[in-house]
Amino acid sequence: MTSTILTIDNVSRVFPGMRGGEPVRALEPTSLTVAENDFITILGPSGCGKSTLLRIVAGLDRPSTGQVSLKGRAIKGPGADRGMVFQSYTLFPWLTVADNIAYGLREKGVPLAQRREIVASYIEKVGLRGFENHYPKQLSGGMQQRTAIARALANDPAILLLDEPFGALDNQTRSLMQELLLGIWERERKTVLFVTHDIEEAIFLASRVIVMTARPGRIKADIPVDLPHPRHYTMKTSAAFSDLKAQLTEEIRVEAMRASEIH
Amino acid sequence: MNRPLEPVSQGVRIVLGISFFVLFVAAWAIATLGGFVSRTFLADPITMLNDGWLLLTRFGFLTDIGVTVWRVLGGFVMAAIVAVPLGVMMGAYKSIEALLEPFVSFARYLPASAFIPLLILWAGIGEMQKLLVIFIGSVFQIILMVAVAVGNTRRDLVEAAYTLGSNDRGVVKRVLIPANAPEIAEILRLVLGWAWTYVIVAELIGSSSGIGHMIIDSQALLATGQMIFGIIVIGIIGLISDFLFKGLNRALFPWRLA
Repeated sequence: MTSTILTIDNVSRVFPGMRGGEPVRALEPTSLTVAENDFITILGPSGCGKSTLLRIVAGLDRPSTGQVSLKGRAIKGPGADRGMVFQSYTLFPWLTVADNIAYGLREKGVPLAQRREIVASYIEKVGLRGFENHYPKQLSGGMQQRTAIARALANDPAILLLDEPFGALDNQTRSLMQELLLGIWERERKTVLFVTHDIEEAIFLASRVIVMTARPGRIKADIPVDLPHPRHYTMKTSAAFSDLKAQLTEEIRVEAMRASEIH
Repeated sequence: MNRPLEPVSQGVRIVLGISFFVLFVAAWAIATLGGFVSRTFLADPITMLNDGWLLLTRFGFLTDIGVTVWRVLGGFVMAAIVAVPLGVMMGAYKSIEALLEPFVSFARYLPASAFIPLLILWAGIGEMQKLLVIFIGSVFQIILMVAVAVGNTRRDLVEAAYTLGSNDRGVVKRVLIPANAPEIAEILRLVLGWAWTYVIVAELIGSSSGIGHMIIDSQALLATGQMIFGIIVIGIIGLISDFLFKGLNRALFPWRLA
């Protein structure tokens, strides 16, 4: 059994009510432990607090109760040990692809020569050779997100957090991006926390799928995915995959219906 | 006529732009040369050009132009040096904003031209007084506009920087400033245009050189041709500085257009 890297202990989040309204309970007290090298996908209907949970792990939001600790140290704010890829395109538009990937290394004070070397290796890994000197505006959405993944990984974080990173991409691109990300994970065995509302994506990528309920969110099911690696896109049509998909579709459907009643 | 928002080609744009200048001068020429307007009040274009030529060749008007340009740039650069860092700090740190924003908003409405009599008392009628008029007229505007721009920086870019290991200083220096640099340049371009009005007002009162001084001198002589020439020179200088500023922005911030 591998060691625990991330502990989420009774974390909840209540947003204060706007203009004297009722406070909004986004996240019920939630506990989760993440083992080193795990690829965990958090699956839930929109508005279920899954992004809130991820933002709390990133240190971009504070829990109302409970605490998160990474490698035994409590998380107080954002830091380079937790790389994040956002759903919106967050490359720095004034920096080239190479400079975007080098951003975190520069902040850390890594010497230029070493920086170049690391950037070149990640350019290669995400297949962006020839685009080093392009500005984000000149890239497609898929390329921007590949750069964002490279930018987060170049920092060598202890855990990689992804908040529906492929949500804005078309189906074909999304499917290629899943394979790219999974390929990197299979080679480098990073610990990954991946938020999505796409069932197929959640199964294909994960070693463990966490299903969340509709708002206020809490963990409804924790389902290990034992499909063998390396995974190929053809796996999405296998019987084992279909069984999991049927199971998760049922779980999510109930929550989506509940969510649509509430909103 | 095109449909709404439909672009026109570069050639058409230039031709249309020039044709309105031509139309304007033609209307002016018809009104004056045709005898519809008294010569005492409005010179015709030809007299204006003659007067302008005389000003430039005989009366050393080039020196006046130089003096005025120097004053505008001097006051404006002083204002920018003070205002841009202050604006960035106000935009970045809400406590500084809470401290300064009410005062700056108030000071922004103080008319720079109303300070001229006071500034003459304080600083005499020398160069410092002219520079101060422009400084007062520009500095609060720049502070406020820069603060708003910096305050509106995309939050997700700031968050991304934090997750990449930036500290607060790093976020200000390597996200807030570069993200808003083009907009700050644009603000400076705009305020430079306003600085031109302040300098002329400053030169109309208590000055012995500059374009504004020439205009007020010409009034005493009813030399409307000279006055109009002076005004047009200001317009042309404004146009040129605008052009240079835009070119500079394009060269400095290629990522915006990429």
